[in-house]
Amino acid sequence: MIQLFHLSKKFGPNIALHNIDLRIGKGEFVFVTGPSGAGKTTLLRLIFGAEKPATGHILINAVNLNRISRPKLDLLRRKIGFVFQDFKLLSNKTVFENVAIALEVTGLRPKFVKKKTHQTLRLVGLAEKEKAYPLSLSGGEQQRVAIARAIVKDPLILLADEPTGNLDPGLTREIMALFRSIHQRGTTVVIATHSRELLKGMESRTVVLNQGRIFEDRC
Amino acid sequence: MIGLRFYFLRQALMNMRRNLTVHILSLGTIVASLLILGAFLLLFGNLNNWLRQWGSSLSMSVYLKDGTSAYKRDKIDSFIRGLPGAQIRRFVTKEEALEELKAALGEEAAFLESLTHNPLPASYEVVFENTGHGDIHPEKIKAQLAALDGVEDVQHSREWLKRAEGFLDIVRLIGYIIAGLLCLCVVFIITNTIKLTIYSRRDEIEILKLVGATDWFVKLPFLLEGMIQGILGGGTALLTLFLGYLAISRNHIYLIGPAPLRFVFLPGEYMVLLFSLSLALGIIGSFIAIGRFFDG
Repeated sequence: MIQLFHLSKKFGPNIALHNIDLRIGKGEFVFVTGPSGAGKTTLLRLIFGAEKPATGHILINAVNLNRISRPKLDLLRRKIGFVFQDFKLLSNKTVFENVAIALEVTGLRPKFVKKKTHQTLRLVGLAEKEKAYPLSLSGGEQQRVAIARAIVKDPLILLADEPTGNLDPGLTREIMALFRSIHQRGTTVVIATHSRELLKGMESRTVVLNQGRIFEDRC
Repeated sequence: MIGLRFYFLRQALMNMRRNLTVHILSLGTIVASLLILGAFLLLFGNLNNWLRQWGSSLSMSVYLKDGTSAYKRDKIDSFIRGLPGAQIRRFVTKEEALEELKAALGEEAAFLESLTHNPLPASYEVVFENTGHGDIHPEKIKAQLAALDGVEDVQHSREWLKRAEGFLDIVRLIGYIIAGLLCLCVVFIITNTIKLTIYSRRDEIEILKLVGATDWFVKLPFLLEGMIQGILGGGTALLTLFLGYLAISRNHIYLIGPAPLRFVFLPGEYMVLLFSLSLALGIIGSFIAIGRFFDG
């Protein structure tokens, strides 16, 4: 599903990732962890095609991102859901509109968009809040809106960058349970986190990054 | 696809609503620019029409000296009637000439009240039929008439025509320059308005791109916005121009020559031209804006 070959990324003189080789299979649940500045976010952004690598190749579903055209990358992104650390919600749009936007860009019929958005909001427990605006929601609720937007299009891959970074332990458990249920539906889930607490008791593959290199890859 | 089309239109209208003040100001400037352009076209079109009318017929004004006796006037009258193809349309007395001038000047005719005597001459308005065959020589007739006792001056429409054609060439050139500058101005305004809208929606654009929107999916509402601006600008300018025309055309225009000139509105093709130009400028403006924003 996701294959990275000799992947490196530089930001000016700083090396963010160095010679990364990684394979993530279909339906896997993977944590990418490491201290701040280890390259977790950069790795996710590269997989998402938001950054270009300095060297190396990224294959998503056997498609090489180095050789993909801009329009095809746009279409590929429809198969990848991304949950951003800062949620990236639009404050002038309702919860419903924030989630529906991911379907509207695909040109689906408004009727279907409405139905699917309602379903997804029910799944993340926000059916009652669909008319609310993001700023009136709690941090956990905003995070769930961001997750709903990422999963509403039934992506093959779900990438989440520090999805529980700002949440209390109770909400963190709730969100993780949500990721588990999404994973059980067959989605490949990759979560970047620096939280050791989050990894405790999780029996999932964990890739540890340190200073841009893979330090450990344990199952 | 129908749903998607409505999505783009909805987005475009929403953008305009969110930046209403900017759009109203922009629209006002577009309308003003197009009005100037339209007014120029209106004036130029009418001048052209009048010239064509003069070109197809020959008319003369034969001005008489003050105090010309009835005997001399009869001789002049007979001479004119004897000219091939000539018809005396009317004889304008000094008093009638003054009244017509007053009517033409409207409210500004008040200064005429201070005149101690009427300075306008009596005149014959003469038209010539079948002037296309080359058997009438205005200069020759003018010389014959001018030589008659009691005739002060003779003017014919061909004289005006020559002068007016030269004038019209200059007007046309100035018009091209003004039109070019106004078009640039409209494109500049539309470009900047759309850029402002794009800037105000930059967060949304980023998210749209992140969830897999194609470039054109993001660009299309802005392009529509430019088109809507063009349509509204063109439509409003034409309507305003028409209302202005209605107000002006109630008065007869005595510009040159003996007969009142008919002031007509823009012909259909000019209206289509002005409207299409506005639409095209809207599209060009938004194309430049989205090109600069998305490729820059």
